[in-house]
Amino acid sequence: MNLSIDNPSPPLIELRSVVKVYNSLAGSVMALNCVSLQIFQGEFLVVTGKSGSGKTTLVNIITGLDRLTSGEVWVSGSPMHRFGTEKAARLRGGTMGVVFQSFELLPTLTVLQNVMLPMDFARRYSVWEQRKRAFNLLEQVDIADHAKKQPSALSGGQQQRLAIARAMANDPAILVADEPTGSLDSATAAAVMGIFEGLVQEGRTVLMVTHDKDIAKRGSRTATLVDGEIADAQIKESLHA
Amino acid sequence: MLRARWYKVINDLFGNKTRTLLIVLSMSVGLFALGIILSARTILSEGLAESFAAINPSSGTVRTTELFDEEFLESVRSMKDVQEADARRQISARVRTELGEWKNLTVFVVADYDDIRVNKVSSQSGVWPPPEREMLIERAALSVIGAQVGDVVLVRFPNDTERKILIAGSAYDPAQLPAQIDGTPYGYITFDTLEWFGEPYGFNELHVLATHAQDKDWAQQVVNHVKDKAEKSGYTIPLSMIAEPGQLPMNDVLQGILLLMGLLGVLSLFLSIFLVVNTVSALLTQQKRQIGVMKAVGGSTFQILGMYLVMVLAYGVLALLIAIPLGMAGARELSSALAVFFNFEIYSTEVPPLTIKIQVVIGLILPVLASLIPFISSLRISAAEAMSIYSISKGRFGKNWIDQILSGSNLWFTRDLSLRSLLLSVRNTFRNKGRLTLTLITLTLGSATFISVFNVRASLSSTVEDMIKWFNCDTMLTLDRAYRAERLNREALSVPGVEKTDVWIQLPTRLVRSDDSESGMIYMFAPTVKPDSLIVSPTIAEGRWLAEGDDNAVVVPSAFLQDEPELELGGNIVLKVNGKEYTFKIVGTYIGMAFLPVVYANYDYMTRITNRIGEADALMISTRDHDPVSVDAATSMLEAHFESVGIRVSMLTTINMERRDAEASFDAIVALLLVMAILLALVGGLGLMGTMSINVLERTREIGVLRAIGASNRGVAMVFIREGIVIGLMSWVMGAILAIPTSQGLNQALGQAVMGVPLTYSYSLPGMWLWLVVVVLLSILASFIPARTASRLTVREVLAYE
Repeated sequence: MNLSIDNPSPPLIELRSVVKVYNSLAGSVMALNCVSLQIFQGEFLVVTGKSGSGKTTLVNIITGLDRLTSGEVWVSGSPMHRFGTEKAARLRGGTMGVVFQSFELLPTLTVLQNVMLPMDFARRYSVWEQRKRAFNLLEQVDIADHAKKQPSALSGGQQQRLAIARAMANDPAILVADEPTGSLDSATAAAVMGIFEGLVQEGRTVLMVTHDKDIAKRGSRTATLVDGEIADAQIKESLHA
Repeated sequence: MLRARWYKVINDLFGNKTRTLLIVLSMSVGLFALGIILSARTILSEGLAESFAAINPSSGTVRTTELFDEEFLESVRSMKDVQEADARRQISARVRTELGEWKNLTVFVVADYDDIRVNKVSSQSGVWPPPEREMLIERAALSVIGAQVGDVVLVRFPNDTERKILIAGSAYDPAQLPAQIDGTPYGYITFDTLEWFGEPYGFNELHVLATHAQDKDWAQQVVNHVKDKAEKSGYTIPLSMIAEPGQLPMNDVLQGILLLMGLLGVLSLFLSIFLVVNTVSALLTQQKRQIGVMKAVGGSTFQILGMYLVMVLAYGVLALLIAIPLGMAGARELSSALAVFFNFEIYSTEVPPLTIKIQVVIGLILPVLASLIPFISSLRISAAEAMSIYSISKGRFGKNWIDQILSGSNLWFTRDLSLRSLLLSVRNTFRNKGRLTLTLITLTLGSATFISVFNVRASLSSTVEDMIKWFNCDTMLTLDRAYRAERLNREALSVPGVEKTDVWIQLPTRLVRSDDSESGMIYMFAPTVKPDSLIVSPTIAEGRWLAEGDDNAVVVPSAFLQDEPELELGGNIVLKVNGKEYTFKIVGTYIGMAFLPVVYANYDYMTRITNRIGEADALMISTRDHDPVSVDAATSMLEAHFESVGIRVSMLTTINMERRDAEASFDAIVALLLVMAILLALVGGLGLMGTMSINVLERTREIGVLRAIGASNRGVAMVFIREGIVIGLMSWVMGAILAIPTSQGLNQALGQAVMGVPLTYSYSLPGMWLWLVVVVLLSILASFIPARTASRLTVREVLAYE
């Protein structure tokens, strides 16, 4: 099933007949089966599905963290499917922020340095600007007081806020989040979702995958993955009224 | 202010101190071994050259039977091609040691100790020059006679005069073979003291320095001219020797040691490289997830590669900070010890800058180059794969027949045995085969080198035994002149304890080359060749030993054929004996050192051509009992009996003394090999520990999983300890096999350098078993420490470990 909506502007992310097959000892597994998808600027698309449905694979393919088997992925008009790891890293560093379920923070860097690292890789700002900007981002997610601590000294919710701040470091147009609330209690998860909604209101595009149906309801559009195929799509009326 | 990525590098370096320490130690031990070997090699080579140049070494020595005076010396000095000449009196005396044992003593008499022009002797301690009726002893000889400066010893001259004489000081004379090697101490007296011993004034040894001393052929010609002049002046020349330009008497052995050090240096270098590759690849495995994260947040391959290369450079710098000073100190100690053994001075123990540069290049560039392969393969995997949470179960175990066997499914007999945890350890070992291969290469190289060092040591002992086996006798006596052979045999057999006797003659000869030039002095030993002859045969390298009825057959040292290219097995050799030239046929070569050439010919033939039928000037005896005490007792009685019947013994040696002396000449090599073995055990051991420890550290999460499912701390530790032992045992088996060709190569190189033929191969089982013990202990230690540390963390901490 294709998931596309009528929108006069070109999509920010577009997947065309994407197939991803994993080969393992147990045999070949088709994680994504001919998925086509368009995501427009300012959207908050939530992809849901059970464990093993292909949600994380979808995130990895869109962000260029993994290579697809066939099909096309366009991000901000660039053919991600044709890019090698170097170009993909550059495109990702400039246009996308990624948030993971298990936070994936670097344990030997401080909270502040974790946020500065993507800016360092992208060479966008001077070191002083990186520092200033990292502080501002930490203030936005309410953990500036912990800037000098190691990530391991933070609670799960604080670590996810840090991961969001890091994802926002290079001021990306797109934020991709893989089960960002999966490791959090409901209150903390609600707070994190508040941050995502705030970012959407600022005009950013957010793609989030989750297995939690209640969380999914907070997106402007939802899609359900079943066995690597998009089985169902809904658009929130209020956002397209 | 630094960029964020460099903070990560710094924090990774100093945040995980155990890992940094292990990696730095692994690298520094290899660099240290390399530094000590390269530096000591240069210090020794330079020290040797400087030390030898300082004594104004002679090009050759001419000895006369009759005494000569200053007038003849002056006439030699005035010869056109003689740059300088000096004279000494040399006397073969005997000295009684503090244990009451009589030993050979070579006494030198010098006219003016403050004006020695060639082969200079200098003061080491005590008074200088030797006062009247007092003696100086060469510094390396004090231990041989067990005396100190200030002691009084009893010395007996060949004229039977015995005097108690004070050792007034020690002298330094590097032109002589070190006393502990040839077993003969050297004493220095004045002509006044000589007179006190009842000997007349006069010299019998000329030391000649040719005008172009570095040209050996020229030096040979000049010495031959001096010899001709002496002969024309009516002197008999029993011996003339040519020195290798710029080389000490033990140069061959020292060169062998330097060669061995070079070879072991190369092996240490290989070991270091594998240690670096191993530790870096382990580090990258551990950092795989973080590399994935950095890629995910926009880090390019080059940026990440740069971070890790800087990290490796930092490890290299830290390793160099340890290795360079330690290597310098070690090289100084090693050089000093070897210089004492070979009896030469090291004027400077300055470590050559080139050695440090090599260490720096190897310490910095090699790790970077070596780590490029694991880096590139690690960076090639996708970020998603790098960050996969399934990394614990992602090993590729189960794919091939090895895994099938180890899975235990076919091992029906294990079903009723509690071998589950053992099988788990074995399977874990084979799970990451690339990593296992790298670890095994490192450890196998370490094992093979360690065992090889022991093998070379065992081969040296076998070679000495082979050399001793030439003589099927217990004591050899050299007499002051020729006696009737029949009388010598009869008198010797009358002494209780003497069972068999045999005689031979010794003749000084010279090789006459096709261009009429002559070689230096070569000893010809002419033993009797018959079925019950006491001399069996030297170890034959090629051809055969002398046969009964051989006329003009000779057996020469194998090294001799290398030095004299026109000679060949089966070919002719012209030897000058008593001034006349005789043509012999080379029927065989024996394994023998190059610095003391001896050729063997048939007794009957030689006595016939020299008109000495029925005479002998050397005697061998075989005693009834062969233990050292019985041999010494019979020898003492024989010496006393000979003295009572007027047969003068000028030199006496027992086979036990010969063995001790032969072993002593290899002592430095053996000692060096032991130092190297310890060093390599350290390199290999630390490598093993480092590899094992990183192996366990890398699986800290897995330890958490095992504990989460109910495994006890002890149970977890045992899984890793068994795994460590399995890897250690595998490397031991492979190392023991690889040691066979490695030690053969070392034997070949060392034997060629010292004796012209490979050493007698011997495999050291004690070395092999010793390394097994070391490997097992290190494996346990290396696995236990990190496993215990990991087991002390809470399950939550362990699972969060990166």
